[in-house]
Amino acid sequence: MRWLLALGLAAALACDDGGEHGVDTRAQWERAEEAWERGEVGAYAMWKELDTDTSIGREAHRRLAEADPHYREGVELLREGDPDARHALAAGIALAPMDPSFYLALARACRDQGLSLRAAEYYTKFLTAFPEGERAEEARVELRRLDPQLAGLFDQRTLLPRAPTAPDRSPWLLIVAGVFLGGVLTLTTQTVARFQRTRGVSLERLVAASPEFHPAIAYLVGSLRHELLKHRIGAAADAIAGAPDEERLAFLRKRLYGGQPLVDAWEAHLSAFERALGHRVDLHRDRSFRRAGRAIRRIARLEEGIGAGQPAALSALAEAHRTLMALDRELAGLIGALIRTEVDRSLLEEIAKEVRSEHSAGRVELASLAIEPPAGAEAVALDVFRVDLVLILKNVLRNAILAVAEDEPPRHVRLDAVVELEATGEETVRIRVHDSSAKTLDPEILFDRRVDRGLGLVAAAVHRYGGTIDVEPAEAPYEKRVVVAFFRTFAEES
Amino acid sequence: MTRRDLLVLEDGHEYQEFAEAFLGAHFDVRAAHSAQEALRQLEAAMPDALLVDLRFERAPVGTLVGDVDATARRRFAGDTHRAIRHLKEQQGTLVLGVLREAGCAAPAVFVHDFPARRLENLRRLYGDVHAVPGFDARAIARALGAS
Repeated sequence: MRWLLALGLAAALACDDGGEHGVDTRAQWERAEEAWERGEVGAYAMWKELDTDTSIGREAHRRLAEADPHYREGVELLREGDPDARHALAAGIALAPMDPSFYLALARACRDQGLSLRAAEYYTKFLTAFPEGERAEEARVELRRLDPQLAGLFDQRTLLPRAPTAPDRSPWLLIVAGVFLGGVLTLTTQTVARFQRTRGVSLERLVAASPEFHPAIAYLVGSLRHELLKHRIGAAADAIAGAPDEERLAFLRKRLYGGQPLVDAWEAHLSAFERALGHRVDLHRDRSFRRAGRAIRRIARLEEGIGAGQPAALSALAEAHRTLMALDRELAGLIGALIRTEVDRSLLEEIAKEVRSEHSAGRVELASLAIEPPAGAEAVALDVFRVDLVLILKNVLRNAILAVAEDEPPRHVRLDAVVELEATGEETVRIRVHDSSAKTLDPEILFDRRVDRGLGLVAAAVHRYGGTIDVEPAEAPYEKRVVVAFFRTFAEES
Repeated sequence: MTRRDLLVLEDGHEYQEFAEAFLGAHFDVRAAHSAQEALRQLEAAMPDALLVDLRFERAPVGTLVGDVDATARRRFAGDTHRAIRHLKEQQGTLVLGVLREAGCAAPAVFVHDFPARRLENLRRLYGDVHAVPGFDARAIARALGAS
């Protein structure tokens, strides 16, 4: 089908005048068609730029207009989970490149249908086409939630089938185009690299926008608070209070000026943030970090005065101490409550309802789909974004329902949650999806977190939040259960 | 005032130094840096009080209480690095568990801001447990019944 259309365009090209304008149009068309062949995001714009005063331009615009409703319909149908979406999208793909403004809607439709790999692919393409603006920020957040590592996995060349070779290319044109593209690529790479180096945001913004970094941020903040703010700075509180005697001054000197110099320790913590989070974060953008840095350097300069027990030095130390303790409280507040989700009946019912409303999982006849929230009156919360927890559990539940569909009735599925007390005083919340399918699931594949294998993508998402996923035998009438477990977050925890 | 015997459980020396500087009026201070060392200290004499560091980040893996592989399997999708990190971050509670099993019922204080429910859980598991959010000598002494 598509080669016939290409032939049509080539024929239209042949009908154009043979002058300079015709040669330009031919070269422009060849570049546009090659971009389409490679599945480039810019292909649509290149087609749009073809001059409608030429027959080739008119033909290209006609095909773009004809493809548009197919793409639109395809996205709508996919959003509804209709299998005809594939045909509608294929009809568009056979005609002309997709308008990049569809990519975001398509990405969301794919995501909502559990097609996470495809979703990430279209988020990536949308962001390539529209790197700026409000919708880009939304797309970036959604893609990161899905899985930031996926963005690099996609080869855009796989998106579209290959079209027939464009006719009659001049080698000089190819060389010029190659040099031009090489220049553009170099400039783009340098610009992107410069942008990457300078685009760090404040820690607060990173926490709000990038849940995938929360475990790393929590660890980094925990280390900073524990090792420096609590052990070295916080421990000095008693020694500062009142007029310290010689013993307390000795303690103070040792705590503040013994071992690794305070400034070095502070810088080491800041470097740890940069190493773990790359250039996404720029702590110099945080006023509290800037103040804290100044307070640390001030304490370092007070060594002599503290050693001599000078009241002015002790007073300056007390002020720096207050600044650093303020940072400690701020960090505690920052980490808390941002991503808290309650595991209750309404969450489990929402997941079951959404999966049962899907085209494939909704058609499976079940003898039972039991739902049982955690026992007890007290709320059970997790530090996992609700949208991500829903995504994870929908995938596991969908997998279970589709697995039992392969067996004869009666088919049983159960979604429940239990809380277990650990020897550390922590509690583990185990959300379990039981099914009556005899089909086995290899836990090693789950641990692999390979996005192309079964529940690998789910396992990767669970892992990102510090959780785990496992499969274990279940009591009759079930055969097995997939267990997704996280540490419980206590009400006032930060 | 009767001086009492305080056993400090930590991976470094900071708690011991603090206790000697600020709790010395109430306690004779000794320290253990692992569960094995703490058990040896118990054989010498049962302490009257315990001051416990929660995080043993500098402790060698071989000295940690807790099965790394089992923890990795059950809680961290087979990731032993995360299991080790977890065991180190929570080691103080596990060392306390070992001492309780060995018959030491002395009041224990963590310098940590535990959520109320977690502290309640620790009391359910290990009896007389307290938590003080910072290095506040008076609060620690009070929690250990020495003020």
